[in-house]
Amino acid sequence: MNDTSFPFGLPPVPPPLPAGTARITFSGERRDFRRLVMRGAALELVTVGFYRFWLATDMRRHLWSNTAVDGDAAEYTGTAKELLIGFLFALAILAPIYLAYFLIGLEAERLQAFASVPLGLFFFLFAQFAIYRARRYRLTRTVWRGVRFWMTGSGWSYAWRAGLWMLLAVITLGIAMPWAKASLERYKMRHTSYGDLQGRFVGTGGGLFKKVWWLWLLMWLTGFLLIPVPFIYAAMRAIEWRWWVSGIRIGEVSFTSDLRNGAFIGLYWKVIGWCVLLLTVLGVWIGIAFAIGYVSIGGGTPTEQKFLLAMQQLPVLLMGGFGYIVAALAVGTVIRIYLMRDLWQRVAHSVTVENLTAADNVAAQGELVSALGEGFANSLDVAGF
Amino acid sequence: MTAGTDHSGIFLDGRSNRKRSVTLRFASGLDIADQDTVIESWPFDQVRRADGPPAMLRLSCTSALPLARLEVSDPATQGVLAAYCRSLDAGRSPGQTWRIVAWSLAAVCSILLLTLFGIPLAADRLAPVLPLSIEQRLGGAVDKQVKFLFGGKTCTRADGQAAFTKLVEKLKDAGGITMPLEAQVLSSSVPNAFALPGGKVYLLAGLLRKAESPDEIAGVLAHELGHVQHRDSLRRLIQTGGTSFLIGLLFGDVTGGSAVVFAGRSLFDASYSRDQERAADTFAIDVMHKLGRSPKPLGALLVRVTGNEASKSIALLASHPMSEDRLALMSKDLGVNTGPEILTAAEWRALKGICAAR
Repeated sequence: MNDTSFPFGLPPVPPPLPAGTARITFSGERRDFRRLVMRGAALELVTVGFYRFWLATDMRRHLWSNTAVDGDAAEYTGTAKELLIGFLFALAILAPIYLAYFLIGLEAERLQAFASVPLGLFFFLFAQFAIYRARRYRLTRTVWRGVRFWMTGSGWSYAWRAGLWMLLAVITLGIAMPWAKASLERYKMRHTSYGDLQGRFVGTGGGLFKKVWWLWLLMWLTGFLLIPVPFIYAAMRAIEWRWWVSGIRIGEVSFTSDLRNGAFIGLYWKVIGWCVLLLTVLGVWIGIAFAIGYVSIGGGTPTEQKFLLAMQQLPVLLMGGFGYIVAALAVGTVIRIYLMRDLWQRVAHSVTVENLTAADNVAAQGELVSALGEGFANSLDVAGF
Repeated sequence: MTAGTDHSGIFLDGRSNRKRSVTLRFASGLDIADQDTVIESWPFDQVRRADGPPAMLRLSCTSALPLARLEVSDPATQGVLAAYCRSLDAGRSPGQTWRIVAWSLAAVCSILLLTLFGIPLAADRLAPVLPLSIEQRLGGAVDKQVKFLFGGKTCTRADGQAAFTKLVEKLKDAGGITMPLEAQVLSSSVPNAFALPGGKVYLLAGLLRKAESPDEIAGVLAHELGHVQHRDSLRRLIQTGGTSFLIGLLFGDVTGGSAVVFAGRSLFDASYSRDQERAADTFAIDVMHKLGRSPKPLGALLVRVTGNEASKSIALLASHPMSEDRLALMSKDLGVNTGPEILTAAEWRALKGICAAR
C-alpha cells in the first residue's frame, strides 16, 4: 500500500546508532493507561479492593507489551488469578503469624506500654523477603523474544542483608545509602538471568555517592523544607535510575541512560498538586459531613463534647469513610499515572542498549515460580510495579 | 506486496530467542514454514492470542511450548489468521469483570455476617470459659495503654480514698461480686467511667466533678461493676480483636482501609454494647435497690453529662450509649430512698476532693 502519508511531513529520523546498539522504546498511549487505571480504581471501590490483582496485571501487561528493545516488545505472562491465589496462600500463612504477633505484643505491653513496637522490625525483614520474592515472580513472567527472565537466590538471605544495610543507613543519617543500594542490587542482579545469560551489577556505592552527595548535603542543609524537597528528591531519583541502568549487565549486554537530572521534577510536582487538590476536596467533604452531623444533634453553641458527639453520628462516619477511600483511590490513580507510567516512559526512552548482539542466541532456561511472594508483598503493603 | 497468498511472520520456537522469518500456510492447521520446511503445525482451535503491542498480533499455541510465539504485523495476514483461528480469545470472557464484582460482594457479605453474628457469638461463648488469669493478663496490657492515654495519674488523697473504698465495698457486697475487683479514680477532666478486663474499674475525675450526690456516683460505679461481673470488657476485647483481625487480614493493602476498619469497628462496638449496657443498668438498679437507694440519680447524671439532647445522640463515648429506653428504665423507679445515705456529707466532700493536692 502506497497511500500511507504523514500529515506533518516525514517522521523525525532518529540519529543512526552504532552497530550492535539498540534503543528501548515505549509506545503506550497515555490515554489508554489513564482509562485503565481510572476504571481499575472504580472497580477497586466496588469490589472492596479485590480488583487490585486484575488492575496490577493489566497495568503490567500494558507497560510490558508497549516496551520494546530493538523493536521487539516484551510480554508479561502473569495472570490475576495467580496473584489472587498467591494472596490467599499468603493469608493462610500470615494468619497464625499475625496471631502470634498479637499475643507476643500483648505480653510485651503488660511489661511496658508500647513495648511491642520493636516487633515491627520482624515485619520489616519479612517485607524485604516479600519484596525479593515478588521481584522473582515478576521476572519469571517477563518474556522477551520468546525467552523468559528468571531468578535464584534466597529471600531470607536478601532480607537480613537489607535489614543490616538499612540499620547502617539510619545510623549514618543516609550516608551509607548508596553502598546499601549497590550491595542489594548486586545480590539481586547476580541471581538474575535471561535464558542462559547471567546478570550482574557493576555499579558501586562509591560511584553513586560521588553523584548524589551534594543532594544529600542539600537535603540536610535545607532542613527538609517543604519546597526544595521535591526538587532534591526528584533529582536524586533520576541520578539513581541512571546509575542503576548503567550498572546492569546481562551476559555481555550493557546499558546506558542519558536521563536528565531534572527529568522527574515535573512529575513529582504534578503529583503534589493533585494531592493538594484532592485533600482540599476531601476536607470540604468531611466538613460538610461534620456540619450535617452537628445539625442532626441539635447544633447550638459548640462544646468539646458536642464535637465528639457530632463526629460519632452514623452519617458522619459513613460519609467520612467513603470520602477517605475515594480520595485514597484517587491519589493512587494519580501516582500510577505519573510515577509509574510517565516515569517508566522517561526512563525507557533514555536507555541505549549496547552490545545487544551478545544476546542473539540465548537458550531458554529457568522455572516459573509461584506468586506467593507477591501475595506476601500485597498483604504487607509493599507491592511495587 | 505480491499475491495475497503469501503470509509471513516472525517465529520464536520457545527454546531460544532466535527470530526466524517464516511463511504461514493454512492447511488442516496453521503450518509455520521456514523456507519450505514446515517447522511446526498448530491446530487452528489451539491457537491463542498472547499479549503484545497494539499493532501486532502475537500468537501462542496451547499444545506447543509455552513460550513459542508467532508474531504477525501485517493487517491482512492478521485478518486471515483471525478467520481461521476461532478460539483466539477463549478463556477471556467479557463477563469476567462482573464475576469479580459479584464474588467480591459475596465476600463482603460473608465478612459482614461473620462480624455481626459470628464474632459476637464466639465472644459470648469464649468469655465465660476463658480462665480469669488470661483475662487479667489482657487487662494488664490494656491498663498500661489506658493509663498512658489519660496521663496515668491516680488520685489517692487519703480521706477521699477512704470514702471511695467504702463506697466500692458497699456496692461490691450488695451486688455479690465474685470477680476480683480493683477500682481507682484517675485524674482526667473527661466525664466518664469504664471497666477493663480483669476487674479494673476507673472513675475519671471529670465525672466526679459533674456529680451532685453520692448516689449518682454509686449508680455509675454499680453500672461498671455490672460490666465486671458479666465480663463484658473481655467480650468486647475478643470482639474488637476478632473483627479487626479478620478485616485487617483480608483488606491487607486496601489504600487506607485500616482507618475505615477502625471507624466501622467503633460502630459495631457501640451497637454490640447496647445489650450489655442494658444488662449493666439492670444490675446497677438492682444493687441500688438492695442498698435502699433510688437509681434515679444515675439517669440524672447521665443526662447532665450528655446534655439535653440525649434522646438524639448515639453515644457520649462509644462505650456508653445513652438511649430513651435506658432513661425510662431508671426513671420508672419511684425514687424513694428507704436505706441510709451511702456516704456521709463529709465523706462525699472528701471523695470530691480526692484529686486535690495534699
